[in-house]
Amino acid sequence: MSEATSTRSAQSRRVRESTWRDAVLANGSVVSIALFFLIVSVIFSVATDAFLTSPNLLNILRQSAPLLIVAAAMTFVITTGGIDLSVGSVLALVATLSATLLQLGLPWPLVILAMLALGALLGAVQGYFVAYEGIPAFIVTLAGLSVIRGVALLITGGYSIPIEPGSPFTVLGRAWLLGVPAPALIALAILAIACIAFNETPFGRYVTGIGANAEAVRRAGVNTRLTTLFVYVISAAAAALAGIIIAARLGSGSSNAGQGFELEVIAAVVLGGTSLFGGRGTIVGTVLGALTVAVIGNGLILAHLSPFLTPIVTGTIILIAIWLNFRLFRGAVRSR
Amino acid sequence: MSSGETYRVRMSGISKRYNAIQTLDDVSLVLRPGEVLGLVGDNGAGKSTLSKVLSGAVVPDAGTIEIDGTPVTFTSPADARAARVEMVYQDLSLCDTVDVAGNLFLGREPRRRIAGISFLDKKRMHEQTRQMLDCLGIVISDTRLKVENLSGGQRQSIAIGRAASFEPSVLIMDEPTAALAVAEVEAVLDLIRTVSARGVSVILITHRLQDLFLVCDRIQVMYEGRNVAERLIGETNIEDVVNLIVGRKFNARSATNAYRDGAPA
Repeated sequence: MSEATSTRSAQSRRVRESTWRDAVLANGSVVSIALFFLIVSVIFSVATDAFLTSPNLLNILRQSAPLLIVAAAMTFVITTGGIDLSVGSVLALVATLSATLLQLGLPWPLVILAMLALGALLGAVQGYFVAYEGIPAFIVTLAGLSVIRGVALLITGGYSIPIEPGSPFTVLGRAWLLGVPAPALIALAILAIACIAFNETPFGRYVTGIGANAEAVRRAGVNTRLTTLFVYVISAAAAALAGIIIAARLGSGSSNAGQGFELEVIAAVVLGGTSLFGGRGTIVGTVLGALTVAVIGNGLILAHLSPFLTPIVTGTIILIAIWLNFRLFRGAVRSR
Repeated sequence: MSSGETYRVRMSGISKRYNAIQTLDDVSLVLRPGEVLGLVGDNGAGKSTLSKVLSGAVVPDAGTIEIDGTPVTFTSPADARAARVEMVYQDLSLCDTVDVAGNLFLGREPRRRIAGISFLDKKRMHEQTRQMLDCLGIVISDTRLKVENLSGGQRQSIAIGRAASFEPSVLIMDEPTAALAVAEVEAVLDLIRTVSARGVSVILITHRLQDLFLVCDRIQVMYEGRNVAERLIGETNIEDVVNLIVGRKFNARSATNAYRDGAPA
């Protein structure tokens, strides 16, 4: 017994209290994307006069609001180990349908509620096939991407549908409140809710747990299927909100809106350090990832460089950021 | 009760056949309150199947189970859980990327309600985790550490601690000390002793015979699906147990070495 006691004290000597350095290593993915965000921002601040001005920064926020909203929701999906490829198509369908319904004379609050409900319903259908039928999320949402975009095209015949410029609906995309664009305020509210839900509620805890070891969470008595279904409801509802904001901002609903949007969203989430294998995700990282993507697009235009450089630079940064996570911050995770 | 004593668990006449193989053949097992029973036997002797029958994962073809003198039938692990029989599965009970407290309280987190929405009460969760770990003598410096950063022994301790926190009357552990470092085996064995001292009956399945002599009160040996022997720990030694396991007189040099090195007490 005395031997056992001595081994224990030896163990407690070996295990030290965690320090700030451990905290940096443990949150390596967030630290590295924060560094990238800073570097990119400093480069554009120095290289262009217009970048670091409040109108431009607010403009970035206004333009990236749909990306921020959907990326926050996608963080939940990817943290469970799933993926949602249909967000761009949901965005397009909601943009066209809201324009169509407004043309038919429906009151705008009703249109907004109906569109959010439609998004939730589309998410619930896809979530059902993923969670209850066990079909891989990639396949279910790939089918969703195709079908939902197809419906949007069918409704419009490929044309974009205008929204009455005087309609209060456009306020959502164009208004300024207290010197801040409305879409940015909506995005801020959604991000705050997402951050609290992810970190401070049992639901957020189970989302992480399902990504790490779904069987353990199920054995703990949690309804893992319903939780999984619900993350797809969240992501599709967020995509619907993004569709409403884009239609309101542009003053029209186009069935071609949000082409490739899903990849931009996934890029932002992955840049933020959320693991595609599930179990690891942060909302803070996602916000930084989305803002980095937005800043690159904005800065290249201000620097009078070709906007077609944006995907090249973004892609390169994704690869380098993930590579850094693997190399530099490997100490955070015990390799097994 | 024919014996006059009320056992915590009393299994009798348990049989199970998988196609051509009679995995369990009229096996019985008794377990007293707070007792640690070592269940040993070669691979395929039926130890795991017997423990799965008791944990509800396998439904036997014949036989009866009594818990505290009351006959029970388990058709699923949930039934066994309701009768307060817990089985420790390390790989199936821990979430790597969740912290120590989160794993111990997975599915029953302390909550506080603000404006009708329930939030995690992290402060209370970490305080209760600290109490629980200290009470069980599990050495972990920080309850905010993610489980993936713990050693194998600490992970096993968390899995056992989690099972023990459901206040079970019977705890079944299948190879809890496999693939652990020496000091970690000691810590897990200490934990088993602590749990049984609190009145929990433990069934320990292991191939590490020296462990049996450190924690068990009694050993039950199985051979090809049958009970072949039962020994009180004080009345046997490693060589005797090895002979019973292999079913004949066997001059196992590993066993004699293990006995000399592993059980000086």
